[in-house]
Amino acid sequence: MSVTSSTPPPSAADPVGTALSPIPPAQIDASCRLPLVVLFLSGAVWLVIASAFGLLASIKFHAPGFLADSAWLTYGRVRPAGLNSLLYGFCVQAGLGVGLWILARLGRTTLAKPGLVAFGAACWNLGVTAGVLGILAGGSTGFENLEMPRYAARVMLLGYLMVVLWGVVTFHRRRERPAYVSQWFLFAALFWFPWIYSTANLLLLAFPVRGMAQAVIAWWYSDNLLVVWLGLVGLATVFYFLPKLTRRELYSRYLALLTFWMLILFGSWGGIPMSAPVPAWMPVLSAVATVLTVILVIAVALNVHLTLEGRCSEFLATPSLRFIGFAVLAFIVAALMRIMNAVPEIGRVTEFTWFTPAREFLNSYGFFAMAMFGAVYYIAPQLFGQRFPSAGLVRAHFWAAAAGVLLYVVPLGIGGIVQGLKLRQAGIAFTDIAQGTLPFLRVSTLGDVLIALGHLMFLANLAGLVVRFYRALAVSAWAAATAEVPIAEVNA
Amino acid sequence: MNYGPLIFLATFFALSGSWCGFVLTPQLQIGRLQQTNTLGTASTTYPVARPGLAGQGLQVYRANGCACCHSQQVGQTGTILEISLTDAGTNQSSTIAALLDLLKGTDDHPTAFVPLPPLEPAGSNAAAAALQSKLPKALLRTSDPAAAKAAVKTLNATSAKAEFWVVPVGPDLSRGWGKRRTVAEDYLFDFPVMPGSQRVGPDLANVGLRLPDTKWHLLHLYAPQLVVKGSTMPPYPFLFEKRKIERRPSPEALVLTGHLAPPAGYEVVPTPGAVALAAYLTSLRADAPLFVAPLTVASAPTAATTNSQASSLAASTNAVPAQTPAK
Amino acid sequence: MSPEPIPSAVPSAESPEPKARPVAVPVWLIVLLFLLLYGGMVYFDRCSGWFADQVYTPYQSVQELEAMQPASGPPSLAQLGLLVYNKPTCVACHQANGKGLPGQFPPLVQSHWILEPEPGRIIRIVLDGLSGPLEVEGQNFNGAMVPWRDVLTDEEIAAVLTYVRQNAEWGNNAPSVKPERVKDVREKTKQHKQSWTPDELLKVSPAD
Repeated sequence: MSVTSSTPPPSAADPVGTALSPIPPAQIDASCRLPLVVLFLSGAVWLVIASAFGLLASIKFHAPGFLADSAWLTYGRVRPAGLNSLLYGFCVQAGLGVGLWILARLGRTTLAKPGLVAFGAACWNLGVTAGVLGILAGGSTGFENLEMPRYAARVMLLGYLMVVLWGVVTFHRRRERPAYVSQWFLFAALFWFPWIYSTANLLLLAFPVRGMAQAVIAWWYSDNLLVVWLGLVGLATVFYFLPKLTRRELYSRYLALLTFWMLILFGSWGGIPMSAPVPAWMPVLSAVATVLTVILVIAVALNVHLTLEGRCSEFLATPSLRFIGFAVLAFIVAALMRIMNAVPEIGRVTEFTWFTPAREFLNSYGFFAMAMFGAVYYIAPQLFGQRFPSAGLVRAHFWAAAAGVLLYVVPLGIGGIVQGLKLRQAGIAFTDIAQGTLPFLRVSTLGDVLIALGHLMFLANLAGLVVRFYRALAVSAWAAATAEVPIAEVNA
Repeated sequence: MNYGPLIFLATFFALSGSWCGFVLTPQLQIGRLQQTNTLGTASTTYPVARPGLAGQGLQVYRANGCACCHSQQVGQTGTILEISLTDAGTNQSSTIAALLDLLKGTDDHPTAFVPLPPLEPAGSNAAAAALQSKLPKALLRTSDPAAAKAAVKTLNATSAKAEFWVVPVGPDLSRGWGKRRTVAEDYLFDFPVMPGSQRVGPDLANVGLRLPDTKWHLLHLYAPQLVVKGSTMPPYPFLFEKRKIERRPSPEALVLTGHLAPPAGYEVVPTPGAVALAAYLTSLRADAPLFVAPLTVASAPTAATTNSQASSLAASTNAVPAQTPAK
Repeated sequence: MSPEPIPSAVPSAESPEPKARPVAVPVWLIVLLFLLLYGGMVYFDRCSGWFADQVYTPYQSVQELEAMQPASGPPSLAQLGLLVYNKPTCVACHQANGKGLPGQFPPLVQSHWILEPEPGRIIRIVLDGLSGPLEVEGQNFNGAMVPWRDVLTDEEIAAVLTYVRQNAEWGNNAPSVKPERVKDVREKTKQHKQSWTPDELLKVSPAD
């Protein structure tokens, strides 16, 4: 861990050894290629699956009898399956892939043991597959965002640990010793998930606690995953790509430090809903902690705004930057929605309504997934040394995704507020309230369709790039293997 | 923050703080709860574990993700106290005077009370009529427990018998979704606990009180739109079986008409899963008065309730050997 | 088609890894943080019940919760009567429906013994018991009822007799019994140490 040490002379045959000169980016990218292909490509597939489930769930509001005959496709199983596919299938995998790449690049060192990382990613995928199938088969655990059965969780945790172990080693072996902002966020995130995931699985599934304590732990886990883990990795991505792609310096490292501390200290205490059947101190503490996170929202907004020196139009420069810019906006709006929810007068109206899924979606998809798209659209060409097969699809994906997110979040947010206001009046029959949310849901289904289209574009583009690279690799290898050897060399 | 160990320590510190706050402390406070006693003279232990079929129904509820649309928690925004007279007493004029005094208040202590419908419009005529009518009847309302206790004392001193009733209020309660808020004791024996976070469908914390008929629930699961006009709930036909009628129609068969009716010679019967789910739903209630969620349950015997109360009280008191008649 | 080389193929063309400037956090942000912390503490102090595990919103302290408990005030005579009847003082023999058991325990429903305008006789029965051949509404009994003089208070006896005499479900509708009346009879029969027989009772006037 020391910054300087006596070093043996650098040698060409010692790529990751004790030499401290930074490794060129192309070499770093080459080392990351295999694990990131597994992570990004399988993430893209899970995205398509997630949006298919989401669309199916959405359609059931307009035609309740749609596919109702099958137990596997009932709303109560399809919706959690879709959410889990999005969170664990795409968000965690893309987050790990982008995170490892950023750690390697910032550390100016190659990724440690890429083969094992790829194996860990494959384990994770196996676990998620088993988990989603388990939910559809009726094995849901009943805890929100933790619906995957125990057998899947074990495999997923194993896969995750295999991946992050080498992430920790990569950080440890970094050649650029001073750590940049993104590295703190990512290093913390590497440890955050296994702790919350194993705690939640142990205390809720393996050795269950009694009564309402289960729900409190489930809420704690859910908040730590969605707000803290996604926030850590997402903000790391934003703080990396924003200055890099605009060729500026991040405005203030101390503002970023404040963001980091606020997120891990106060972000981890949110999550207990206001009228939960628990002693009063729990929701009150959650509300106080959530309102305090406004500091980190202001810090992020300041940092981003002042990095660009007010020239926010620079976000439109490249496709990646468009995604990152949208992600920053979504982060701020989602965090403000969460803070508003924590204020009792407003929270009493919006709790139990569509406002909550809207803001959670804005956070996990509008912020995190869009940041991941921006990152992948930059990283993948670097990995393969080629552009995406279709630049038009990249642009189209952005507009489809942005429109989709807006069409999903805005109607559901407004619909949720209307629903909440009506719920407070005992005179309004419940069926009237339910019917009243349907117009908003119809618009959000449009959003679901656009998002699903965007995912198809993403998968097609990424798969095309990967296939093209490996086919070229295979072709050249085949050509080299079957090349005619000059007669002179054979005889010599 | 340039060093790995520092970042790790920061992470450890922050996460262990929130772990202590929201994992350890809840486990110590509510994870070790035991059964408690309900309030009142007919005190029983609460809660009791769900009977076997309802326990299985809980697992059906979990497997089909019912918690995605239904919440099972009821909130409360306040508590009001209603002063009620249980006995008019012998000195009715002084009781009436005391009631009117309470409503008027004094110059430096404005009244904390609001008259309830039996006393409206407030005046000695209304008060006299209220005292003559069938008691017990709630006459005054306040939110100040000290004022309520003082009022009860004042009224008792005039030889009438008064008490105050504790009535929780809130939008959920006004909607008929419960009599009081749900508390941790209500979920003591459930695994998993699914309080839900969405009200796409109505809250179910007290659905066993509102809809105690399992046949209603079964029909509602099969065809929600048939039973509840305007419902957005999807049907659950896979919880039922359409089978040929053998010899006689089954008593469990659903009564269906119109386009939902099965073809001639067939009947729709619920599977064990559906029966269990209906049993679970009808077992859902959270209205027992507890210390942490006080509530006055109407205990004054009326003609209709006398015998049922008597038998339930007899059942709950300790058995004393019956007196054998001796010659 | 050969893929076009992208800028990063030439290392200097890709933008360098980002750096952060050491600019200080604006003071107003720190001030806001402390203001919010203070506000949060005030809110916690007011609404949380200070970690008490019995305080649920909307209650804000254990004291408030205790003040809001339903009063266990004096029950009305009829309520007390029901309780005493079920202690199981009376219900064990006379049953919850008041019909007793044929041949063993006499009914209280529509019993002329119960419904006499003046309660003198039945107070004596409850105080000192009853034994010997008894006729109630055409049924004959020859058992024994235990005395309750030392077990029940005047108020309890008055309450249970009122309950029995005024039980609308049984169709009984006789005047209530006052505790003072019971006290009176108790004094008068202080010397009567054994249980009454129906003949003895019939000699006593109910108004006594």
